[in-house]
Amino acid sequence: MVQFTKNIPDLSIASKRPALSSLIKEQAIKTVFFITAFFAVIVVIFILLFLLRDGYAIFVDVGIIPFLFGTTWAPTAVEPLYGILPLIVGTLLVTLGAIVFAVPLSIGCAIYVSELASTRVKNVLKPAIELLAGIPSVVYGFFGLVVLTDFIRVTFDVPSGETWLAASILLGIMALPTIISVSEDAISAVPHEFREGSLAIGATRWQTISRVLVPAALSGIAAAIILGIGRAIGETMAVLMVAGNAAVIPEPIWNVLSPVRTLTATLGIEMGEVSVGSQHYNALFGIAIVLLVITLIINLAAVAILHRLKEGQAAGSHQKPLIPLTLKEPLVRIVKLLLGASLVIFLFFAAPWYFAALILFVLGALYFGWDHLSQKYVEKISFGIVAAAAFIVLAILVIILGYIVIKGLPAISWEFLTQPPKDLGRAGGIYPAIVGTLYLVAGAILIALPLGVGAAIYLVEYTREGRITRLIRNGVDLLNGTPSIVFGLFGFAFIVLYLTVGVSLLAGQVTLALMILPTVIRTTEESLKNIPPSLREGSLALGATRWQTISKVVIPPAVPGIVTGAILCIGRAAGETAPIMFTAVVFSSRFLPDSVFDPVMALPYHLFILATNVPGASANMYGTALVLLILVVGMYAVAITVRHHFQKKSRG
Amino acid sequence: MSESAIITTNNVNLWYNGKQALESVSMKIPKNKVTALIGPSGCGKSTLLRCFNRLNDLIDHVKITGEITLDDKNIHESGTDVVMLRKKVGMVFQKPNPFPKSIYENVAYGPRVHGLKNNNQLDAIVEQSLRHAALWDEVKDRLNDSALGLSGGQQQRLCIARTLAVEPEVILMDEPCSALDPIATAKIENLIDLLKQDYTVIIVTHNMQQAARVSDFTGFMYLGKLIECGKTVQIFEHPKEELTENYITGRFG
Repeated sequence: MVQFTKNIPDLSIASKRPALSSLIKEQAIKTVFFITAFFAVIVVIFILLFLLRDGYAIFVDVGIIPFLFGTTWAPTAVEPLYGILPLIVGTLLVTLGAIVFAVPLSIGCAIYVSELASTRVKNVLKPAIELLAGIPSVVYGFFGLVVLTDFIRVTFDVPSGETWLAASILLGIMALPTIISVSEDAISAVPHEFREGSLAIGATRWQTISRVLVPAALSGIAAAIILGIGRAIGETMAVLMVAGNAAVIPEPIWNVLSPVRTLTATLGIEMGEVSVGSQHYNALFGIAIVLLVITLIINLAAVAILHRLKEGQAAGSHQKPLIPLTLKEPLVRIVKLLLGASLVIFLFFAAPWYFAALILFVLGALYFGWDHLSQKYVEKISFGIVAAAAFIVLAILVIILGYIVIKGLPAISWEFLTQPPKDLGRAGGIYPAIVGTLYLVAGAILIALPLGVGAAIYLVEYTREGRITRLIRNGVDLLNGTPSIVFGLFGFAFIVLYLTVGVSLLAGQVTLALMILPTVIRTTEESLKNIPPSLREGSLALGATRWQTISKVVIPPAVPGIVTGAILCIGRAAGETAPIMFTAVVFSSRFLPDSVFDPVMALPYHLFILATNVPGASANMYGTALVLLILVVGMYAVAITVRHHFQKKSRG
Repeated sequence: MSESAIITTNNVNLWYNGKQALESVSMKIPKNKVTALIGPSGCGKSTLLRCFNRLNDLIDHVKITGEITLDDKNIHESGTDVVMLRKKVGMVFQKPNPFPKSIYENVAYGPRVHGLKNNNQLDAIVEQSLRHAALWDEVKDRLNDSALGLSGGQQQRLCIARTLAVEPEVILMDEPCSALDPIATAKIENLIDLLKQDYTVIIVTHNMQQAARVSDFTGFMYLGKLIECGKTVQIFEHPKEELTENYITGRFG
């Protein structure tokens, strides 16, 4: 039924008072947005609550000290022992190695991109770095498993390449994009006057970079490294696939060719096999608590540094340096010492002798010859090193993508894309996995997008900065720093068990949605903030209400930014394994789910199982990796293009 | 001008992105004198100043023709070491731009990048430069404090000390007082007067009283052209060109 009513426009505005109903409507809208914004805080509280609920028992039964510092992790022994020290040590060692590997490369690359690269080179490098960030961790793990560990096994002549070294290199690669992009922002943000001032004194470009720009950007670079550490500590799948996973402390401690096991990998391996409610189950949640605490501290530190940096920039040049001048020297010395020590360990322990000799010779020559070199040559050599770093980063991307494309292409066929798997995935196709992943991602974005956009609108449009916004922002930051495996555990404990939803599509969708929520909020916030306040004022000055202004003036131009953020989130959700491993997926189901309460197959999990548990699935393994890669990297490419397009447009 | 010239420009043209910013500028900068460049905003005086130490090289899409010589050597000649050029031709900027380092490190930066390592020598240079810039007495007890904690005027004098520390022959000043209050401005102007004993100073200013107070020679620029240049007294009291007179007397549209 359609009702026709005659609407006669009433233009006697002066006499008209705002109807009570419209006031209520405005208030109701505001309340709804507040609830969406506060949702992030609620989720954080729930995560903490449920981890503690299932984990506290282990601290009571075993005791905090024996749990944290016990040297044996043997949960399935007759007399089970729950000491997680080897796991903590493993996590720290792997992370340290990743940082040693990633930091010089990232800073070199960041310097190259921000100071040396021509516009054309920049236009290749920057998207390449973003694509590197887009590759799913299970694909990294897969690449590490089939290429990197093999390379290490042959090069160092060890029985297995699944080692601390492999995990560190892989995590280092994964941390590269974060560290590069944040440090590059920091270096680019150094005021142009510093560059001119230094050059005008007759410093070379390299002296300007190394003595003025990098020191001035040090706080930002520190934050970048901390964020990289956070990324490395929270990573599960890639580490699990290449670290060897023996719960031992390397002997001697610097043996980079020893297998190690991290906190996250322990959760990934054992969570699927543990009986719910047992002491072992409690211990795993205890590990999740420890992991969460570590990552939260790290991420909050990085956020605090970046936040102070932003405030300092807004306040002008009179900010106090974050790292006191007197502390800078010793800090730099410590970093140098650390790098030197790692290099020495690497050379004497791992590298073949001729390689070690070569490196030592070059370093020695540089050390003794450096002061005698003219600044021109110093500059040339330094620029060469920096450009090499950028080249290596690009080469890593090309190698990973190229390898998977070349090996995967022969497996792709119409049947592969449209048939269910046969013989445990060795034959047949991956149709149910593709559909499952699409279902998971669609559900996740449908849940996260309204919540995230609502929260961002509340934060940007409805409030001034205050205690509540700070609380919400902290909540979002905490959620953002939570490792994906912890989301998996939470989803399992809360949605699957407590809400008795069971292992199902729905549980996976909700878990993924929670994971991508902070990114949706952040990207939406950014695009809303880019809308100039004068537009809002113009609309409000005409007598439009808040909501009319937001919905008609603010949101439309912000849509491209929001869409870009959403696409990035879809890409991320499609590639994640850890959050859905215990909540949504099954391996080798021939059927598509009938309802959201059925479990599904998913591409990343399918790849993980094929690569680790099914011998002889070589062709299909590469095919699956390629399909997943195309799906995820394709999303990123679309997002980057969309953003680029609209940036151009807005610049006119 | 009868005095010996340290910098000579001959028919210099400059384009930013195809837009001409300097048009056949020919002038001589006398040694150990203060030369002021005046003219309305956008007339090209800062652009000309930045030609002298080739700081325009930093900007993309700049094209320069003509000849600029320093000590009778063409600074655009291939094989010219830009670094050595900038060591000889120091520059003080419009906005004070001390590095985010200590006061000491700011002054020591120049000598250090030119290879000086000896700490005693560095100490001596830092003290001498700060004294020369009339800043020593105000900062001698806090040399290790951050330079960013100084007042605007102090920061600008620190930047002058930083320039002096590499012992240039010429000091370029790009509206050095435009961000300062009158008292700080007076201090810098006194300093400029002292500096000309040892250095050649070229100062860009849009403050005509300042040009009249501090300079020996003045060049007036308009729309990228050098309209007139000569002794400051002559330019201000008996300008030859009508444009110059209009500008100096404030009748400018």
